[in-house]
Amino acid sequence: MAELVQYVATGLLVGGVYALMSIGLALIFGVMRVVNFAQGDFMMLGMYLTYFYAISGRVDPLLGALLSIPPFFVLGWLVHRGILARVTGGDPARQHDAQLIVTLGLSLVITNATTMILTPTPRGIPTSYATQAFAVGPVLLNQARSYAFAMALVLAAAVYLFLTRTDVGKALRAAADDPEAAGYQGIDVRAMHALAFGTGIALVAAAGGLLATYYPIEPTVAGNFIVLMFVAVVLGGLGSIPGAFVGGLVIGLVQSLTLLVLPFQLQNTGVFIAFLLVLYLRPQGLFGRRLRAV
Amino acid sequence: MRSLARMLAVSLALLLAVGSVYVRPAPAADDVKIALVAPLSGRWARQGQLKKMGADMAIEEINAQGGIKALGGAKLVLREADAGDSVEKAVSAAQRVLTREKISAGIGSWLSSFTLGVTEVAERLQVPWLSLSYADSITERGFKYTFQTSPVSSLQAEQALELVTDLAKKNKRPIKKAAIVGDNTAASMFFYKPLREKLLAAKGIELVVDDVWTPPLADATAIVQKLRSAQPDIVFYGATNFPDSIQVLQKVKEFGVKSPIQGVGAWLVTPEYVKTVGKETLDNIQTVVATHPMKGQEELVKKFVQRTGEPFMTQDPLCTYGHVWLIKEAIEQAKSADPKAIRDALAKIDLQSGPAANSFYPPRIKFDERGRRIGAIPLIVQWQGGEPFTVVPTAVATRPVASHK
Repeated sequence: MAELVQYVATGLLVGGVYALMSIGLALIFGVMRVVNFAQGDFMMLGMYLTYFYAISGRVDPLLGALLSIPPFFVLGWLVHRGILARVTGGDPARQHDAQLIVTLGLSLVITNATTMILTPTPRGIPTSYATQAFAVGPVLLNQARSYAFAMALVLAAAVYLFLTRTDVGKALRAAADDPEAAGYQGIDVRAMHALAFGTGIALVAAAGGLLATYYPIEPTVAGNFIVLMFVAVVLGGLGSIPGAFVGGLVIGLVQSLTLLVLPFQLQNTGVFIAFLLVLYLRPQGLFGRRLRAV
Repeated sequence: MRSLARMLAVSLALLLAVGSVYVRPAPAADDVKIALVAPLSGRWARQGQLKKMGADMAIEEINAQGGIKALGGAKLVLREADAGDSVEKAVSAAQRVLTREKISAGIGSWLSSFTLGVTEVAERLQVPWLSLSYADSITERGFKYTFQTSPVSSLQAEQALELVTDLAKKNKRPIKKAAIVGDNTAASMFFYKPLREKLLAAKGIELVVDDVWTPPLADATAIVQKLRSAQPDIVFYGATNFPDSIQVLQKVKEFGVKSPIQGVGAWLVTPEYVKTVGKETLDNIQTVVATHPMKGQEELVKKFVQRTGEPFMTQDPLCTYGHVWLIKEAIEQAKSADPKAIRDALAKIDLQSGPAANSFYPPRIKFDERGRRIGAIPLIVQWQGGEPFTVVPTAVATRPVASHK
């Protein structure tokens, strides 16, 4: 029984950071209908910024993760203005292809430029809490993961409140639901897209910062997470913020519990079986609305 | 449409700008070109970078000493190609570099799975190829152009087990229970296989944990929990992907697991481990490697450290350094830059001194008909105070072995 509780706790802690990574992606898709393949690479850049904060300014990476939000919001805004705004709007079918190519290209450029500039040498932020645990009865909760989980929860709640309780948040959702009607209401849809992209990038960079408290940083780290992010977003319902959050948690949980019944080599098999089941039984995802039938 | 075209043009310009960094001045006509196909991007880029450091150092030394004497002082030139992060990319990199211009010999590609693919290309194009990869299958295919300087994985397993059981006996802590923990990359799998199938049983050792994963590992809690409850006397450890390995070591510390860790490969002794998990966690962890700086190589290590800024030298640069020198010796003996002549020279070579031979243990380079170095045995390297030292065999050890607390 204690073993089961340990697996559940570990799964939820791992899932917390997946959840934060995924809500940025969900926000961008929900508002702009852009599938951002470079999302993982912005997370990697967030890890590096937190690392440099920690090394040069002795900033604790948990604080560093928060401090990476403003610069990455600006970066996201600029990337939207400079690159993505040119391939959004207009004929949806054609723009869709262009967006895929642009974000994929962006991902390649970021990974390889980082490899060239910062070298492929992995780096890590040595923190005391990465190797310590809170003991709750027989169950051990890793401290770094617990802090990261708590902060992920707070940031996700903040995004949810922002979207549901503020005028700007409501405008953002209006732009997501029906850009044309939102435009007639005087909402600047282009600015809303930039806001969504900036927020989405800032969130994933913060998730990267939290991840950096216990996970090594290297230019290719995105590859270890990007597929899981997409699975979380689709699992939760494309574009749904609470859905992506729950999707992330579910992935962590399933990954952990799979090990109770399957060998390690099949660790992600459970995730993809759960994914297929959800797609089969509820094609719109756990929290999604049925937008179109295929 | 116009904006898309403009964007494509900008991307193209960017790519060309990035690409131009790699453009090198054309070599003189009589230069001898050797290829290094190693991962320079992707998950294993660090290992490729380390290999390149070793190759560059050897080439600089050879050229500074007058180049290849048999060819009138011809200079050696390195042509590197990025093996990337998949076998397909490694194969196409080898194909590209070997067909674009005349390459006399090649080196690569670190990961056994890559080497298996790359050596097929080299065999087809008849270019002699030197590899440090461990997998047995590399030299089990009847290839004529592949030369493996490392002891193969199955042999390493046998010798490593022999060495650790001896050591345990000396410390009066005989090994009764063992664990196998690691990923399923080729070299690791060839190491575990004989342990599982016969070696452990032959020594009366029980295998209490056997967990193998496909990288990346999501979380190491479950594995380390098993180690904590089974308390093996030795953990055979093969987590070649750095983030996976860091997660396991962090958990080992967190859960207070005291079982000695015996790694499989040089990935466990790179400098970044110290910065990420701290030297206390690493203390006494040991690993079996194909080569590592040995007694008498202090000058070489000093030179390497000064050149590169790395805190110490490890298998990857040392092995590649040795390979470049070996190619140089083969060209001297062949008196030709022709790949076939160099292959024949390598097949006959018997070096017992010089920078090439001294980069390996025992210091003799002679290949059998399969292309395996005759008599190759692995070294055991142990972390002590944040630096990895050769501890076994004692004849070439740079530090005495420290026992586990």
